[in-house]
Amino acid sequence: MIPSRTRCLILACGNTLRGDDGIGPWLAHWAKKRFSANPAVTIISRQQWTPELAEDIARAQAVLFVDSSAASEPGAIQLVPVAPAAGHPALATHHVDAPQLLALAHELYGSWPRAVFLLTTGAGATNLGEEFSEPVKRALPAACALLETTVRNLLTGNTPRP
Amino acid sequence: MSQTITIDPVTRLEGHGKITIQLNGQGEVEDAHFHVTQVRGFEKFSEGRPYYEMPGLMARICGICPVSHLIASARACEAIMSVRIPPTAALLRRMLNLAQMVQSHALSFFYLASPDLLLGMEFDPKLRNILGVVAAKPALGRAGVALRRFGQHIIELLGSKRVHPGWVVPGGVTEPLSTAKRDEILAMLPEAYANAALALSAYKQIADRFDAEIDVFANFPSNFMSLLNEDGSIEFTTGALRLIDAQGATIEDGITAARFAEVIGEAVEPYSYTKFAYYKPLGYPQGSYRVGPLARLNIVSSMGTPRAEKELAEFKQLASGPILSSFHYHHARLVEILYGVEKIEEILNDPGILDKHVRATAGVNRLEGAGQAEAPRGVLHHHYKVDENGKMLWANLVIATGQNNRAMNLGVLQAARHYVKDGKFTEGILNRVEAVVRAFDPCLSCSSHAFGQMPLAISLVSAHGKVVDRAVRG
Repeated sequence: MIPSRTRCLILACGNTLRGDDGIGPWLAHWAKKRFSANPAVTIISRQQWTPELAEDIARAQAVLFVDSSAASEPGAIQLVPVAPAAGHPALATHHVDAPQLLALAHELYGSWPRAVFLLTTGAGATNLGEEFSEPVKRALPAACALLETTVRNLLTGNTPRP
Repeated sequence: MSQTITIDPVTRLEGHGKITIQLNGQGEVEDAHFHVTQVRGFEKFSEGRPYYEMPGLMARICGICPVSHLIASARACEAIMSVRIPPTAALLRRMLNLAQMVQSHALSFFYLASPDLLLGMEFDPKLRNILGVVAAKPALGRAGVALRRFGQHIIELLGSKRVHPGWVVPGGVTEPLSTAKRDEILAMLPEAYANAALALSAYKQIADRFDAEIDVFANFPSNFMSLLNEDGSIEFTTGALRLIDAQGATIEDGITAARFAEVIGEAVEPYSYTKFAYYKPLGYPQGSYRVGPLARLNIVSSMGTPRAEKELAEFKQLASGPILSSFHYHHARLVEILYGVEKIEEILNDPGILDKHVRATAGVNRLEGAGQAEAPRGVLHHHYKVDENGKMLWANLVIATGQNNRAMNLGVLQAARHYVKDGKFTEGILNRVEAVVRAFDPCLSCSSHAFGQMPLAISLVSAHGKVVDRAVRG
């Protein structure tokens, strides 16, 4: 078990050059400004999640993953709890998902965050470009609000409401 | 009736490729090929761009070894500018390249190869992955993840990004090293040393179990080529190339980037988008050679750092001349990780490392330039031609994987002939054929640019051209 240092870790993922796929980094950038005065919140934004992030997760008391979703309606916002992946799923070296990272954190460091959630925004268009689709643009205020509420709940120990 | 086995896609590689194994009427392996099935268009679409954009553009070829592309490209640009970069910039670039080498070798050994090495070639394929390694050998799993973080974090500290840092530019680097960053890296070194030692120790404990694989994993006489310094010590960022034969005799020495195209040619085979590099005076395929960690350790006489020097001496005991089995790439990689950590410490303790003069400036002073650097997988060569305004007219990139291409193909054939009997193969046999390719740690994305998923596949094809068996994983 490694010592826990981060009270709330925001872990965003996405490609800012592929339209709505960039929503994760966009929200991470927003959160950096929003929580700039709060040392309890750590924000990491990556193009892809990779296994090395397991240590950051193991060190955190609570984790909020932030990503786009190809499975949801464009602009649809979802907050769901994340459970670790079961068994030993094959890991890609270039990208792992939130359940895999959670499982890896436990396998490597024997540590679980107290609470883990995934915030997704449905992607409408992921073509080359740095602009969001209209449904995602309209969803941004609500996504920001939900992110902020969730982080505040995680910091105070309250269970965020999906 | 003859058959062909196809492994498509081959897994745990950097890129997408497939293997086909051609059987004769008696079910014996007649031929085998490793196909790289992607196209790289970087040389073509760089035409018309300003030359000084090239490092940033070329780095996008690869997410694993972008730093080598940055450095080789910047050096080609500096040949066009006719400038020498400031000494501190040279040190900083060297550190960046070594950090990338450490993280890339950690990825290759721990994430891609160690499931075979630590769990076994026949281990349940569902569990034969890094998580399986973590479950069976947690300390080693943590060491692998930590070494990768070590290299990536240094890249991030220097270049502001873990992948595709834009810090290396023609003329040097954009920003000097701060005291705080230097101290942060120095503080990471003890753990990196411990993890490198742990990996070497663990590998040496299990290497004896793989005598059978060592015999048939691309184990044949070949030439080898790598950068080195004038004193014979290992070099990743400057120096000149030496080509040796299978007995260790020097074929040609002092091959600078400017002379590379004069002596190295590229052949084309119909089954792969990756070219086959060869030494022109010997022709193709006789002039084919291997590059990368095994080649480097076969060629150099010294590592230049105390701990790695001891490991090099031990490594060289594996054979009386050059070590020929490509299985030993794994061992060589671990020796280089240790070297990388030591050299980074040496660089950080250099009295000039915090100097603020880190960039030289100039315009176009030559219409042609070439640069080379050692990528983790082997030497990387960039060659550019520009007009008077510095607009790119032509580019050619010779990538490590292209230089190992012939050896990988021969290695797949050697292993297939040894393992595939009566036209049949098991998952463990299939995995061994893939593992031959994995030993080289090819970057198919670099050798012919990848887009999307990164797996590889095996097909078994009859004498009549019919695919009779096929394994697809990814």
